[in-house]
Amino acid sequence: MRDLAARLTALDPDAGAALQVIAYFDRLIEGRAGLPAIIRGAAVLAGCPARLTDPRRRISLRVQPDGTDTTPARQPASAQAAADQAASGRAASGQAASDQAASDQAASDQAASDQAAASAAFAGSAAGEDPGWMSVEVTDGAVLRLERAGPPGPVDAMILERAAAAARAVLDRTHAPLPDSLKIVVNPDATEAVRLQAATRLGLKTTDFVRAIALPDARPHLATDRDPPPSPQLRTGVGPLGPVLALPASWAAAQIALRFTADGTEADPGPRLVHAEQLGGLALLAAVIIPNAAPVPDVSALDRVAATAPWALATLNAAAEAPSLRAAALRIHHSTMQERLSHIDHQLGWDFRTPPGRLRLQLAFALRRLHRNPTAV
Amino acid sequence: MTTDIGPPPPFDPELAAALDVLAVGLPPALTADMIEPMRSGSLLAEVSDDDLARGGAFTVTRRTVPGPAGDPDVELLVLTPAGAGPGLPGLYHVHGGGMILGDNRTGVEMLQDWATEVPSVIVSVEYRLAPEHPHPAPVEDCYAGLVWTAKNATELGIDPQRLIIAGASAGGGLAAATALLARDRGGPELAGQMLLCPMLDDRNDTPSAVQMAGRGVWDRTANDTGWTALLGADRGGPEVSPYAAPARATDLSGLPPAFIDVGSAETFRDEDVAYASRIWQAGGRAELHVWPGGFHGFDMLAPQAAVSQEARAARVRWLRRLLGS
Repeated sequence: MRDLAARLTALDPDAGAALQVIAYFDRLIEGRAGLPAIIRGAAVLAGCPARLTDPRRRISLRVQPDGTDTTPARQPASAQAAADQAASGRAASGQAASDQAASDQAASDQAASDQAAASAAFAGSAAGEDPGWMSVEVTDGAVLRLERAGPPGPVDAMILERAAAAARAVLDRTHAPLPDSLKIVVNPDATEAVRLQAATRLGLKTTDFVRAIALPDARPHLATDRDPPPSPQLRTGVGPLGPVLALPASWAAAQIALRFTADGTEADPGPRLVHAEQLGGLALLAAVIIPNAAPVPDVSALDRVAATAPWALATLNAAAEAPSLRAAALRIHHSTMQERLSHIDHQLGWDFRTPPGRLRLQLAFALRRLHRNPTAV
Repeated sequence: MTTDIGPPPPFDPELAAALDVLAVGLPPALTADMIEPMRSGSLLAEVSDDDLARGGAFTVTRRTVPGPAGDPDVELLVLTPAGAGPGLPGLYHVHGGGMILGDNRTGVEMLQDWATEVPSVIVSVEYRLAPEHPHPAPVEDCYAGLVWTAKNATELGIDPQRLIIAGASAGGGLAAATALLARDRGGPELAGQMLLCPMLDDRNDTPSAVQMAGRGVWDRTANDTGWTALLGADRGGPEVSPYAAPARATDLSGLPPAFIDVGSAETFRDEDVAYASRIWQAGGRAELHVWPGGFHGFDMLAPQAAVSQEARAARVRWLRRLLGS
């Protein structure tokens, strides 16, 4: 009498048990039960642990068939990053030569973590999941699993289907679509109370340290200090880490940082990932280079260099960003490097081998990127 | 009075869902003609000695002890934790079943759960059931078993200063009545009384009894069936003894500390809340929990629900506080 799973097993799986499952979750929906009650229902009816993971909404729940909650604690970010890397089984994708030349150890660490660009990356969910378990997608990325090997029988299939429908109803009701909450949490015009509410919906705690991240998709992305560092598949501007309420400032800074990023291609060499905190006084230039601003003559000079050969601009950028020409030449044969640079000299119009000339060159590249990305996303 | 009574409070969603699946074979209303089929049915699962032993965690013994004067002996089921030393708390258990159903194994697994957390010796009394044995047979059997248990506490491994009476539903009512008897006859000194959704009032006319008619578990009709089995034509009349229906007691002073819990969506809600209030008004000690949306016996039927887990934990916490363990 106490064991719902045993009771269901005793019923005709095609008719009786399925009807009971439907009735069970209908009552939960009717009573506006929360996610834990729904996941608990799945575990209790199936007689095995059930879990819901929703990386985008930062939800992770795991319940035993006796109803007790065994949601694992979040893992430290470093452990999760390593796990993600192992799980993905993919090496860092190729980076443009200029980016490689400029990379320090931290950047290469970031590149090694092949987590998609840091949108609400989520620790603690994937631990110990078995691909053989029965599962169903609840909604955009949220997955409900019964911790038992499939394929599901008719009762298990019904449990998955009805529990997923019930969970979907809760997510729709209580978890605002992520984009809305994200827009609110970085909006300086929203009141603090409203922003904190949105942060809660995103699974953030008031004590969390979090940063905004800008990508060309124009949507705000967030990462806490526990999340793995972003790895730039796309141009990525990273705002400073701070309390939840400082996210509007972090977002503004991330958007500025994004304008200083490059595609990392021959036509647009430079770093794909820029931290706002590393820009220093350069950030002030962003306010000057607005849409339709006349190009500074030095930017036009770079464009002339770009027109001479496909490799020309990337070579020059390597020279600008590497600690020394010798270091820049590590990627290109030294004599080839010298040969190429002398070709470029004429087009550029100033000697970039002197310290002031090199600063001028770096500045020209920064201005060129601002012209290419003339607005905040 | 009844015009002021609103619709029934909603069940907790999880409990409602579980009730839907379990309701088959468990009608809210129970009439006299259903007593026999219920007794022989499978609803109250047989509990074997092996079940009780829990893989050696408990030693299971049976003692036949003197019943009330002139009446048959009473059988006590004794469950002792494995490797227990002397002087453990004693849990004297009175089973539920509406005065008409069950035996001394019914519901004892809940006390075993407590004893697993707070090591205790469990003594569960087999009392005679109504309607074959109307009042005072059931409560007198309970009292006789308690007197013997207190007298033989040391032999049972029980500290006589830490003997607690406990019961659910009709067992809660009988436990409360036994505590009144012990007080009034100068009988065993109890350290506490655990009254879980107790059946206390034969008048069966509180707002909650009216509200919940036809709903949940053990509704007003079932309650009428149980009380009428115990009291016959006297049920609801002026002559009912407080030892049959403790809600009838005019004096609730001098009782052991009480733990009372009940669901907000069950027949017994108002009589149980009133009992706790009257203990306080008499200067006594009571802890009252009203679990929102709980039907009668919700935590036994749906132990996995969040509210059931909390209700169960609250009992163990009270025991720990009471016993200082």
